[in-house]
Amino acid sequence: MAEDKTNLLEGLGEHSLSHWQKAWLRFRRHPFARWAGSILIILYLMALFADFIGPYPEAKSFRKLQFAPPTAIHFKTETGKLVRPYVCKVKRTRNLQTFKLEFKQDCNKHYPIYFLVHGFPYKFLGFIPMDLHLFGGPWVMSGKAHIFLWGTDDFGRDLFSRIWFGGRISLTIGILASMVALLLGITLGGISGYFAGQEMHLIRGFLHFPSRSELASEGAAAFRRVFSESSLVRGWRNAVYEGQVSGYIVGLVFQYAFWILSIVVVVITMKGFLSISTGLELAVAILVFGGLLLYMFWALVFGELAVDIDELIMRSTEVLAAIPGLFLLIILSGMLAKYDLPSATRFMLVLSILAFVSWGGLARTVRGFVLQLREMDYAQAARALGAGDWRILFRHLLPGILGYLIIVVSLAMPGYILAESSLSFLGLGIQDPASSWGLLLSKAQQGGMTALRDRPWLLFFPGFFIFVSILAYNYLGDALRDALDPRAEQH
Amino acid sequence: MTAYIIRRFIHLIPTFLGATFLAFLIIQLAPGDFVTRLEMDPSYNHEQIENLRHLFGLDQPFTVQYAKWLSGFLKGYLGISLSYQTDVWQVIKPRLLNSLVLVTLSILFIYVVSIPIGIYSALHQYSWGDRFWTTVAFIGLAIPNFFFALLMLYFALYLKDVFGHEIFPIGGMRSLYIAGLDFYSAPKWRQWLDILWHAVLPVIVSGTSGTAGLTRVMRTQMLETKMQDYVRTARAKGLPERVVIYKHILRNAIIPIIASIGFLLPDLFGGAGLVEVVMGWPGLTPLMLDALFSIDVYIIMGSIAISVVLLMIGNLLSDLLLAWVDPRIRYS
Repeated sequence: MAEDKTNLLEGLGEHSLSHWQKAWLRFRRHPFARWAGSILIILYLMALFADFIGPYPEAKSFRKLQFAPPTAIHFKTETGKLVRPYVCKVKRTRNLQTFKLEFKQDCNKHYPIYFLVHGFPYKFLGFIPMDLHLFGGPWVMSGKAHIFLWGTDDFGRDLFSRIWFGGRISLTIGILASMVALLLGITLGGISGYFAGQEMHLIRGFLHFPSRSELASEGAAAFRRVFSESSLVRGWRNAVYEGQVSGYIVGLVFQYAFWILSIVVVVITMKGFLSISTGLELAVAILVFGGLLLYMFWALVFGELAVDIDELIMRSTEVLAAIPGLFLLIILSGMLAKYDLPSATRFMLVLSILAFVSWGGLARTVRGFVLQLREMDYAQAARALGAGDWRILFRHLLPGILGYLIIVVSLAMPGYILAESSLSFLGLGIQDPASSWGLLLSKAQQGGMTALRDRPWLLFFPGFFIFVSILAYNYLGDALRDALDPRAEQH
Repeated sequence: MTAYIIRRFIHLIPTFLGATFLAFLIIQLAPGDFVTRLEMDPSYNHEQIENLRHLFGLDQPFTVQYAKWLSGFLKGYLGISLSYQTDVWQVIKPRLLNSLVLVTLSILFIYVVSIPIGIYSALHQYSWGDRFWTTVAFIGLAIPNFFFALLMLYFALYLKDVFGHEIFPIGGMRSLYIAGLDFYSAPKWRQWLDILWHAVLPVIVSGTSGTAGLTRVMRTQMLETKMQDYVRTARAKGLPERVVIYKHILRNAIIPIIASIGFLLPDLFGGAGLVEVVMGWPGLTPLMLDALFSIDVYIIMGSIAISVVLLMIGNLLSDLLLAWVDPRIRYS
């Protein structure tokens, strides 16, 4: 009897899994998801505890130990006795035969490595003063010997420490940039999809009347209708009907301000252009600018010009997509790199650039989904219940594509990490003394192609971390797609 | 069809205007202009600098500068470069050709490698070979181009150390000498051979991520086509397996892959760009980077305008090809 009861409960439990629980099950079934997730968590933790893990502060440099190779860690004394791991003092000398710099170990004195030792002070999480480090020894602070697990860079800074500090930037910039891009993409894509097909007035000419044929068909009453049917009046009537009078007036002010501003810009451009042109160019310019101005005046007075806001936004994304991504990235950051900025500002700047370059694709995706969803019965039902446009869009439609958004973002994440590291690699992103993996990698080629051979640690370590984080995000995105795609539920 | 093509062409005009205007706007973000650099140079006095400003129209509002640039572009004149002291087209042309060599070879590489692998993976789904190639594809997608390029250079250096001479060249696009002769006085075919030899590693690097992506697409396409009814019919009527695979499955699966060639372009342009920088291939991107540092406006604008045009034409051709081979895609 008792057995039956438990069976019954089990059956119930299996069938009442929620959408997210099922997704979680599917996610865990993915062969690499758990690996990718754990690796990412480890990387993020290491970056968070960078001060603790690295024996040196981010910007601590040893001028005499530039490009020092990884410090050898000894486990045995010269006589072969097993002792606590120790390092030797390293000195840089110039080989008088080859004129190359060489690093020589001086093992007269041993410097044993201890764990959880006091060292350079830092502020844990930015506000708790601490000086505990994962490994090191009293000799780290005094500089009697050094421990560079993964060598040093061009300023003699410890690469091991800088990798973890760099990870903070390289790993977070992707998340933050994708959040900003997502915000832009959702808002613009949502508006674009939801209001597709509705016209937004760019200008209502104050003397715009219905056409002559329309009036003729109306007969005797036509004359009186001239004023009651002008574009402004019609718009007003619509606004009153929909209870959006203030919006209508603000829109009207914006329309006229925009239009008059455009005319001023065109006039200034025309004046400047005509003053430096001659011959055929002058003639064509007069025609083009004249035509443009005439049209603008005509539109201001008699015209009625409306655009589909969807068209407008989608055209902007097309414009963004028309410039090769790398070129857009490098001209934006190349121009802004001319300013001397503190590293926190530069971080925000790189972040915004990444978001600006990439919101178009997200907006297109969101628009596609919203276009589909707004025709759904539940959207119609919400409208019938009297919900406003914005409420329907943000409370009913966008939550419906949450799963897709998670997929899209996780698939986009490797792109952001890649873009940041490319920019920093080219010297246009994060700059010294801050560190990021791309910036660290750019030191590998410093001093020509053959420099790679002499200091491979500068190539392999930063490159490896960029590669691993992108690979892990790729697998994670793949797993999330398998888990959250509703089409997967049938299988 | 003709009406569709014309409409698409007209569609391109505002996109082109918007893209070039955006680029122009971005260049204005930098402090100063490219004459500012000369103010430090004692060989120019204040008056000369003002003259230069006037000559290049830099004292005009930037909308005027843009209009002037646009009018020049329409006449086929890209302006003058201050750093190179010559016509921009003369600077860009050789660089553009170099980049196109790399991009064309990469496209060839991508198709030649990814299609057979995609077919193999689809025909042996879930076999060890398939799993191996899936993993390789994931690694190929994840490895950053510039890191891979550095690894390849390291590899080339290693080979040189082992064999005592260069198996693969270490960066660059041409050798200084071919068989004792100066590069440009060597026979044409040897020049091309030399360039091809230099292109091997850059092409592998810039083609890798594209290959990885296309392999996956090819595999999915093949798997989907394999399930179609007409394939079962072909088998049922007793056709040999070879004919079923190559005539019925492959031909249908491969159409969209071939037609989507233009969509590869943006990624290739970017990917090849970083490879050019790392491997010292004298293409468009290194030129752009140099121009960025000296705010050589017309070089930047010229490169961007040309790449925008190339990209738009590539996309258009792809769209048309797709519409042409697949009647299900309607011209809307």
